[in-house]
Amino acid sequence: MSAPLITDIAQAEQGTSLWRDAWLRLRRNRLAVLGLAVLCFFVLVALLTPWIAPYGYAQQNLELGATPPSAAHWLGTDIFGRDLLTQIMYGGRVSLAVGFIATAVALVIGVTWGAIAGYAGGKLDAAMMRLVDILYALPFMIFIVLLMVVFGRNMLLLFLAIGAVEWLTMARIMRSQVQSLRQQEFVEAAISLGLSPATIIRRHLVPNALGPIIVYTTLTIPSVMLLEAFLSFLGLGVQPPQTSWGLLISYGAESLEEYPWLLLYPGLALTLTLFSLNFLGDGLRDALDVRGAKD
Amino acid sequence: MRLCALRLSLPVLVVSIVVSGALSLTACGDRESNVVQGNRAGILHAGNGTEPQGLDPHVVTGVTESNIVTALFEGLVTKNPYTLEPEPGVAQRWDVSDDGLTITFHLNPAAKWSNGDPTTAQDFVWSWQRALNPAMGNQYAYMLYPVQNAEAYATGKLDDFSNVGVKALDDHTLQVRLNAPTPYFLQLMDHYSTYAVHRPTIEKFGKATDRFTPWTHAGNLVGNGPFTLKEWRLNRRIIVEKSDTYWDKDRVQLSGIEFYPAENISSEERMFRVGQLHYSYTVPLDKIPVYRAMEDSPYVNAPYLGTYFYLLNTTKPPLDDVRVRQALSLAVDRERLNNTVLHGTNVPAYGITPPGTLGYQPPRVFDYDVEKARKLLAEAGYPDGAGWPGLELTYNTSESHLKIAVALQQMWKDALNIDVTLANQEWKVYLDSIDQMSFQMARRGWIGDYVDPNNFLDLFLCDGGNNNTGFCDPEYDDMILQQAPRAASREERYRIFNAAETRLMEQMPIIPIYTYTSNHLVHPSVKGKPSNLMDYVNYKYISLDPDWQAAQ
Repeated sequence: MSAPLITDIAQAEQGTSLWRDAWLRLRRNRLAVLGLAVLCFFVLVALLTPWIAPYGYAQQNLELGATPPSAAHWLGTDIFGRDLLTQIMYGGRVSLAVGFIATAVALVIGVTWGAIAGYAGGKLDAAMMRLVDILYALPFMIFIVLLMVVFGRNMLLLFLAIGAVEWLTMARIMRSQVQSLRQQEFVEAAISLGLSPATIIRRHLVPNALGPIIVYTTLTIPSVMLLEAFLSFLGLGVQPPQTSWGLLISYGAESLEEYPWLLLYPGLALTLTLFSLNFLGDGLRDALDVRGAKD
Repeated sequence: MRLCALRLSLPVLVVSIVVSGALSLTACGDRESNVVQGNRAGILHAGNGTEPQGLDPHVVTGVTESNIVTALFEGLVTKNPYTLEPEPGVAQRWDVSDDGLTITFHLNPAAKWSNGDPTTAQDFVWSWQRALNPAMGNQYAYMLYPVQNAEAYATGKLDDFSNVGVKALDDHTLQVRLNAPTPYFLQLMDHYSTYAVHRPTIEKFGKATDRFTPWTHAGNLVGNGPFTLKEWRLNRRIIVEKSDTYWDKDRVQLSGIEFYPAENISSEERMFRVGQLHYSYTVPLDKIPVYRAMEDSPYVNAPYLGTYFYLLNTTKPPLDDVRVRQALSLAVDRERLNNTVLHGTNVPAYGITPPGTLGYQPPRVFDYDVEKARKLLAEAGYPDGAGWPGLELTYNTSESHLKIAVALQQMWKDALNIDVTLANQEWKVYLDSIDQMSFQMARRGWIGDYVDPNNFLDLFLCDGGNNNTGFCDPEYDDMILQQAPRAASREERYRIFNAAETRLMEQMPIIPIYTYTSNHLVHPSVKGKPSNLMDYVNYKYISLDPDWQAAQ
């Protein structure tokens, strides 16, 4: 009788892996699920924009000018008679791409850097973290402007440049996580099993530090999107007729009094995305916090 | 909530005042606005475009700089803001010889520098030498070219300045000899590049020909104008106060002026609306219809001696091909642009000279013609945009330049199927790009320095400091420099100008877009600031009505 029982237990334990557990908990958080759904919707729209956009994104109708929302233009038009809904859809492609790609860059660099520094400790750690301190001290605008001047105006480069600036905090968080995890028994066990440091970091340390990293990631995406808007406004990011939510908002803000819809709808799109990300981040933090949930 | 600005009648604006009023409580609230305070203290608060590049009269080139420089310095003559006729400045009176070649200026013995030194004829001789010195790199050196040998000295062909036709007969008599009778010479004497500067001050901070030494900083600057520089806070404001040493100080009614650089014209308009400014440098396009519809509108719109155009760099492909330049220009629907994006505030331009400059009418060499433009582009090797290498349009960061650029970008895309990318630059970077011709196509505006077609046409002389296109036509130079000044009558002179401008527009080194009009918001308490073709402000004439608030 005892043998089947053991397999039962083994099966039950297999069924509740970290991810499955987290997913189950996340699903119970309605706001987080709503956030996820909104995000998925935006991403889907962004991907399909070239096929589903009602108008061409640079298509002007100067005689029409700025008109409030109507049947032909659901969200109205801007001063060039361009359809605002189309603009928002195309702008979303840029904004979301910047948000996700730049954050992914920051994530990869930051997590790797922080994990190595935290795990290695000693002089290597000191050297790596001092470099982070030095980069922190550089005014980030100058850094980005320098990158753009050296490599020219290029959208992919813009993503990378922003990512290359945003990884610093990520590295610090990762390092502190790894430092505390390194003292724990399961790491000692892994070491005594003869696993290489790279494997230990990849298999044992990074997954255990995911909670704070994911939360920080969801906070990085919105800040990156705002940074892109700022850079574009200064003429360093995307240039007309290409657009992004940040640009649409800055143009909208200039004619707030005459054409409020030009600010309202792009603002709404950005706000919805930011809220969704925050709710999702909150949900993920709760879901991934093993200790908190199992109590 | 108490509103501290003008009460605007339209519902839209009422709502917006409440909104912007709430946003600017610190500026408004229970404190008095700049306008109310200024009216009592006699301080004019003026919106002034961008942060000035500098305040050295022999270095600066922009309108924002000129607005400040004319408060700090005074030329041999000034102008009446109502008629634009010359009036005594440092020179009390002047005699023109019968042949029109010699002008003798009699300087006012009471004219002084702000440190008390007298302003003498020698000051002018030394200053003109500085202004013309090739090492100075003064872009407006050509303003003095009507003076004998001035051009030779400025281009380095002549080293001895004593051969240049300007001489101090005594401390208070300045004699100027000209190459040819120059009908507009007195107008030039009001231009800042012909102003005298204070020699000891400049030499204290560097060589005479050093650009951007600290001599123009507050506390250092010594001028001879109705005001002295009190404070210069970068990107915040420039404060000038009434000078005690100015010879005509009894006529100066203001006790000071504060200039605000407002690069963002929407925030400038908001500043005006909440009573922070007496007048605005310009008006955002979107706001013009609203202001136009108001009763007792502070909006003032007047014809202006200026042209808005795009410079084409004729030394770099694809714009080194005249057919490409013509195609770009012919594909611009100026009427449509003016009626839509520009709200009908300007006049479409097809030449560099504004129409009606003292009676001169520019030739109409081309029209809006998409078919012809497409044909020209195909002949140049880009049929329907195929093989187009791309083109970058550089402009200085400003909402209105952006709007025009976006509209034109699409016109070119629609008409010629070519892509034009936009690149905005901060003002000083943009000026550098223009100077060094490191652009392909660049926005440019030219504001007349004196009322004469010559002022627009001599831009495109081969070695014109503001040519910046690579355009060079010896025949054109000859017409402008040799034939026109020697013309017997005004009609004859204008006929030569017309032929020269035709040559220019056939080569199309520029794409003219529109003729400017001046657009300001002027507070009703400001008196003595009439509209004129040059948008010229003579601060001596301005006064503020201290009772304005009580009358409301």
